[in-house]
Amino acid sequence: MLKIIIPTIMLMPLTWLSKKNMIWINTTTYSLLISLISLSLLNQPSNNSLNFSLMFFSDPLSAPLLVLTTWLLPLMLMASQHHLSKEPLIRKKLYITMLTMLQTLLIMTFTATELISFYILFEATLVPTLIIITRWGNQTERLNAGLYFLFYTLMGSLPLLVALISIQNLTGSLNFLLIQYWNQALPDSWSNIFLWLACMMAFMVKMPLYGLHLWLPKAHVEAPIAGSMVLAAILLKLGGYGMLRITTMLNPQTSFMAYPFLMLSLWGMIMTSSICLRQTDLKSLIAYSSVSHMALVIVAVLIQTPWSYMGATALMIAHGLTSSMLFCLANSNYERTHSRTMILARGLQTLLPLMAAWWLLASLTNLALPPSINLIGELFVVMSSFSWSNITIILMGTNITITALYSLYMLITTQRGKYTHHINSIKPSFTRENALMALHMTPLLLLSLNPKIILGFTY
Amino acid sequence: MNPLIFTTILMTVLLGTMIVMMSSHWLMIWIGFEMNLLAIIPILMKKYNPRTMEASTKYFLTQATASMLLMMAIIINLMHSGQWTITKVFNPTASIIMTSALAMKLGLTPFHFWVPEVTQGISLTSGLILLTWQKLAPMSILYQISPSINLNILLTMAVLSILVGGWGGLNQTQLRKIMAYSSIAHMGWMTAVLVYNPTLTMLNMLIYIMMTLTMFMLFIHSSSTTTLSLSHTWNKTPLTTTLILITLLSMGGLPPLSGFMPKWMIIQELTKNNSIILPTLMAIMALLNLYFYMRLTYSTSLTMFPSTNNMKMKWQFETKRITLLPPLIVMSSLLLPLTPMLSILD
Repeated sequence: MLKIIIPTIMLMPLTWLSKKNMIWINTTTYSLLISLISLSLLNQPSNNSLNFSLMFFSDPLSAPLLVLTTWLLPLMLMASQHHLSKEPLIRKKLYITMLTMLQTLLIMTFTATELISFYILFEATLVPTLIIITRWGNQTERLNAGLYFLFYTLMGSLPLLVALISIQNLTGSLNFLLIQYWNQALPDSWSNIFLWLACMMAFMVKMPLYGLHLWLPKAHVEAPIAGSMVLAAILLKLGGYGMLRITTMLNPQTSFMAYPFLMLSLWGMIMTSSICLRQTDLKSLIAYSSVSHMALVIVAVLIQTPWSYMGATALMIAHGLTSSMLFCLANSNYERTHSRTMILARGLQTLLPLMAAWWLLASLTNLALPPSINLIGELFVVMSSFSWSNITIILMGTNITITALYSLYMLITTQRGKYTHHINSIKPSFTRENALMALHMTPLLLLSLNPKIILGFTY
Repeated sequence: MNPLIFTTILMTVLLGTMIVMMSSHWLMIWIGFEMNLLAIIPILMKKYNPRTMEASTKYFLTQATASMLLMMAIIINLMHSGQWTITKVFNPTASIIMTSALAMKLGLTPFHFWVPEVTQGISLTSGLILLTWQKLAPMSILYQISPSINLNILLTMAVLSILVGGWGGLNQTQLRKIMAYSSIAHMGWMTAVLVYNPTLTMLNMLIYIMMTLTMFMLFIHSSSTTTLSLSHTWNKTPLTTTLILITLLSMGGLPPLSGFMPKWMIIQELTKNNSIILPTLMAIMALLNLYFYMRLTYSTSLTMFPSTNNMKMKWQFETKRITLLPPLIVMSSLLLPLTPMLSILD
């Protein structure tokens, strides 16, 4: 694993020592090379994990998330070039350093063996993200957004620290690989109910669960493009990944403790999808759509069947790529019109036809069109929740319909119709932007040819 | 002040604390405390104005009261045990009185009222000595009598201190008062784990002193005593804004900085001793502290304006020389991976 971590750390000296006209080229190239190294991890020979050392391991769940993380860094760098072009050189380097630091911490989080190490790195990812949102965001609301982001996550995760330490006292070790084999049923008592709550709340806030999702629209809207990309694509998946890891230790309380969260998620996904239909702010629409998709992941993880775990993992990867692509598209609009209001930039298909093709593909994958991996994820989750309880099919079906509705609403509002007069002098699409969209879309489409690699450890 | 005299007085302060830390006779400890108190009054009053006079008087009165209480506890201990050696204090009355006296010296709730006002009234360097060096002597006595301290009183004082340190600092814009409330909260963390594992108290003291030293050095460097003047640092030395950010986040206890290490270890020790609600409560109340540190970072480093500064600029004097700032900054932010080396503190 050091073969990925050390090069990522070394990206920081690379940015500080590069010449002015080479920083973007150097960092993007080398981060792409690092992502190619991480692809080798996808070759998992067995259901057991690949252990690299005492501290790092990768198994069929963390390998796709790791590949997604490393794939996204060059994409984030490509997306940030425009809005940083007017900043002084040192601030550009600082921005890239923040992104690189976040990347290193994320790689270590996804491959951590010891759960306390996972916790420390999970918390540590908050600091660079906070700095990116508050320092480089665009509106004054970003201060409030950073505070909400930091404090919601910290309030949820401090009980997790206490819970992990008390589990360590009970079982003697928090090494995840050992716990898989030592696992015993938690005795039934009040304190174990609170232990369950303490373990899960951190990830529920991060996912986010419907009642605790207030930080997400603020943070996503106020963050600069790289911040939005990394938040939507990876940081939310940290919550899902943590839940998938921790629920192995928390039986049998999950069978009855999960009900309130299942209800919140099932209702929440419909609520947030409906909110999307009434949004005027494009980034806010994509943010609420993230909440809706992640609610599906929460439902899948809490049901705890093999198919639902497969669906959760596939949905996390698919949503990561799709949501990041949608944010890039929204950002390309924002860079031209300096406004996130959807109706201000209508009829773009006439002006930017190739970008309209990317908008179409992104919206189609967002609404889970077959045979994309979004569909595979959603379908597995719907089927397993149907087997858990027949009535959920109504809610799931409603959600799929409303998702289709708002995705098409977003597509039609921005692309179709007559263009507004004030945007007939926007710049045409840059090659960089088209490359960005292509790099998002290609893995998404190629994965539908072999979804086995993203289906997680219950395949 | 004449440098020779200043050195003599400073050495007396140091000598007082050393006497406290190294004595085995209760009377010598009391003498050490008094020496410390009398010698630090001129240091607190380096500038001669009514505000410093008020601050020094408040400090003198509270510390003298605490010393008297300490003397009473020592005498009661003498009466019941018949000897003057420092061991754990067997008599419960003496133990409670001694704990209260030492809490008054440290600034634990409910004896915390002097800390913000005294810290505010004195200069930055004197405030530094007050908040770091002066805590060493009472903490060393608490360490030595730790097996006999009444747990209820100590834990109540600790939790209330964390609460007061958190809530009290929320309404402050003066940097010295913010550091005072942060000191109250950190003292609360330190005393909470004293009965369970005094080594962690020492660890927390060490890291707290490093972080507070760093913060004060950065404040002295930019000669700023209010949030407003701290927000000018991006005009003068932009690098210090990043350093202020890192150190403040470390004081708030965010991983992966070293300020997280004492909190993590203390939570671990408390959980091992089967108290689970207490560390959760303490950890959540530490978030209040983090909130006002974040507010400081917002005005200082995270919202650098690309335009000219909107606030009144101050005269920029020659940059003061700061001792040891780079090692301090490194130690106050990057020590977390060294946690397995804690065993050297025993």
